[in-house]
Amino acid sequence: MNIIIVGSGNLGSSLAQKMSALGHKVTIIEKNLRATSALPRGQVNSGQIRVIHDDGSTASAMIAADIDNAEVFIAATGKDSLNGLTAQKAKTIFGIQHAMTVVKDQDAKNLYDSLGITTINQAALASDHLTELLTQES
Amino acid sequence: MGEPLASSLINAGHEVFILDDDHETVTALQRELGMVAALGDATSIRDLSEAGASRADVLIATTNFDEDNLAACQLARNHFDIQRTIAVVNSPENAELFERSGIDMVVNATGLILANLATIIPSHPLIRLMPIGDHAKELVAIKLPAGGLLIGRKLSEITLPYGTDVISIITSDGKSKKLDPDIRIESEDEIIALSPTNSTAELWVLLTELR
Repeated sequence: MNIIIVGSGNLGSSLAQKMSALGHKVTIIEKNLRATSALPRGQVNSGQIRVIHDDGSTASAMIAADIDNAEVFIAATGKDSLNGLTAQKAKTIFGIQHAMTVVKDQDAKNLYDSLGITTINQAALASDHLTELLTQES
Repeated sequence: MGEPLASSLINAGHEVFILDDDHETVTALQRELGMVAALGDATSIRDLSEAGASRADVLIATTNFDEDNLAACQLARNHFDIQRTIAVVNSPENAELFERSGIDMVVNATGLILANLATIIPSHPLIRLMPIGDHAKELVAIKLPAGGLLIGRKLSEITLPYGTDVISIITSDGKSKKLDPDIRIESEDEIIALSPTNSTAELWVLLTELR
């Protein structure tokens, strides 16, 4: 699969690493040059992960990332509303098959879910997991 | 942008509430206009609720961040069932996404500045004749420059911005041309058109583009 990830923070970087290790073609868009340091150097140098320095919410960055030939688009910056706009643009304007976004806020998750974007709430996921672990222990 | 808009809406007799995430702005607004402003995030359901969003008829999003304007309008519609949403779009490329996501009126900030600058460029200005229908559309006059890209083309060959109609074409000697599709555009023609307010800048650029 061709996967585009916007944002190379902790989440974007580790996702890029895992997806690339599974054999998928990963393009990461990150506007802050410094933030790309978290990416696995080996996979970047060997070209398994392609890095584009640009604002991932713009059409020009999406085109540079070859969005027309991508199946999955994941908006994973640190700002919920920016992830929402970016994923909607990939879906509405470029017709991407799977638009996904990561958010911090449950209200944002409800909003983007209702708009047909697969949305993951990091905090809710972590707390569900912890609750499960604690329940198993007791 | 929010402050002059709010004071003109208050003067027109509307109930207005402003949400802003800048402490100084809110303090200044409260000093100027009274308790009609609060510190808050327009993309937060809680802050919108406290600002009275569930009673609002219209939500207007005018921040400098397109993502926040889009999220505020979508929350207004999907969560608060607000009937009418209006948003400023700072980056022109986002206008299409805003319109397709159901925002009722999209105001293109860059386009408005361009159009206003165009009005004062003396060679081939855009003249705003009259706002129509609640300012959604405008009647404008645009003079075609000699050496313009469209000179000699047929009217039917020109793709006008969506929702734009040519009302009349007036020649340089003041005669109005018959508007059949085969009529050709000539240098110094003046085009009178009815166009959506946020498309007038685009229309001006189209008609005045040089070869």
